[in-house]
Amino acid sequence: MEDLKIRFITNFIKDDRWKYFTNGLETTYIVSFFAIVLGVVIGVLIAVVRSTADTIERPNLVIRILNWICRIYLTVIRGTPAMIQLLIMYYIIFGSVDVSKRVVAILTFGINSGAYVAEIIRSGIMSVDRGQFEAGRSLGLNYVQTMWYIVIPQAFKNVLPALGNEFITLLKETSICGYIALTDVTHGANTVRSQTYDPYLPLFGAALIYLISVSFLSALVTRMERRLRVNER
Amino acid sequence: MSAEKQVLFDIKGLCKSFGKVQVLDHIDAQIYKGEVVVIIGPSGSGKSTFLRSLNLLEMPTGGRILFEGKDMTDPRANINEYRQKIGMVFQHFNLFANLTILENMTLAPMKVLKKSKEEAEAEAMQLLKRVGLEEKANAYPAQLSGGQKQRIAIVRSLCMHPDVMLFDEPTSALDPEMVGEVLAVMRDLALEGMTMVIVTHEMGFAREVGSRVLFVDEGKIKEENTPAEFFDHPRHPRLVEFLSKVI
Repeated sequence: MEDLKIRFITNFIKDDRWKYFTNGLETTYIVSFFAIVLGVVIGVLIAVVRSTADTIERPNLVIRILNWICRIYLTVIRGTPAMIQLLIMYYIIFGSVDVSKRVVAILTFGINSGAYVAEIIRSGIMSVDRGQFEAGRSLGLNYVQTMWYIVIPQAFKNVLPALGNEFITLLKETSICGYIALTDVTHGANTVRSQTYDPYLPLFGAALIYLISVSFLSALVTRMERRLRVNER
Repeated sequence: MSAEKQVLFDIKGLCKSFGKVQVLDHIDAQIYKGEVVVIIGPSGSGKSTFLRSLNLLEMPTGGRILFEGKDMTDPRANINEYRQKIGMVFQHFNLFANLTILENMTLAPMKVLKKSKEEAEAEAMQLLKRVGLEEKANAYPAQLSGGQKQRIAIVRSLCMHPDVMLFDEPTSALDPEMVGEVLAVMRDLALEGMTMVIVTHEMGFAREVGSRVLFVDEGKIKEENTPAEFFDHPRHPRLVEFLSKVI
């Protein structure tokens, strides 16, 4: 017991080592949050293009080109590891530009997540009864208004559990930030481990932090689900 | 009188094909202002497709539709402008599931007609009162019965002040005891002089309220007449056969 106390002090208190965890956590949260926002924005846009191209009888050239670009994006992003994407973003795309590592991480994870979110939202849009769309159009609402006020809110509600899953995955995926020397929770814990030569406490500590964060995130999604379900009562 | 009748829809050689299946086969018809036109026909005859063509939910593959003298099938035409003036009531109601009843009714007036929230809500409440559902203003569609939903769907269309109302089998998805309440609203509307085009299987209603009845079969209008003549002295053999089955 006494031994554990000493190890705790060595790993978390001495030399302000807890700062590795708190600073790391800040990075993990900031990167995750903005990546989720970016991912949802990209995802909705792509989902709308994709489902528009799939549903209208004769898509025009613009829609066809956009759809084609979206499909390439989905194929490339979903077909390569996030880690490679992060390294390419850091060493090649922003290789000669001085830009915050957090921004690089946000862009990478946002663009990565957008591909998955797009397919989730698209399945949601497809699940909304076509009559909802027709009713909107028959009242004189244009395509964008009908999608925005009627279809997407219902699609979003239908796929919220799947989206929650994607957010959880994203939060944990940010643990590869250390590969561009960005100190997130994982990288911070690993740094402490290399200083104290004690793998147990730093790594279990990091694991616990992720576990609590994910629990918090899923509680948030569950609450949102319940709020959105008012119209079913 | 007949010389003054104003043509609302002038349908010329309307065709619609889904792939190789021709659903509408060169239909010519006029719908006049103030008329209640009832369309009947066997399932798969194209009557719903015909109705849905009138607000371009189905894009015609041939022919033209003039609405108030203007060609709405012109590719350059702004479809949304026409649709504002053409109300539509669906078999499955299609109330917006994510919005309250009041929001269902005020969305289009606010977004399309740019009315203020207060103005749109005041008008919606008045219409709700008219169909006796004002206490449902803040309910969601899922909390309503089929008959209530359909009455809301009708007044939701009325919020846009349409020049004509299209009804696509408005009572077919209802429990029998709810059919009456919806037909009552439609009857009132007809009495007020609203132009209506109704696809229905309610023969009694067609006879009572219709000013003209069309029989659609195999993508063509095979017979049209006043309700009395139509039901008492059908001429086309397909109509005779059809009526013998449904009445």
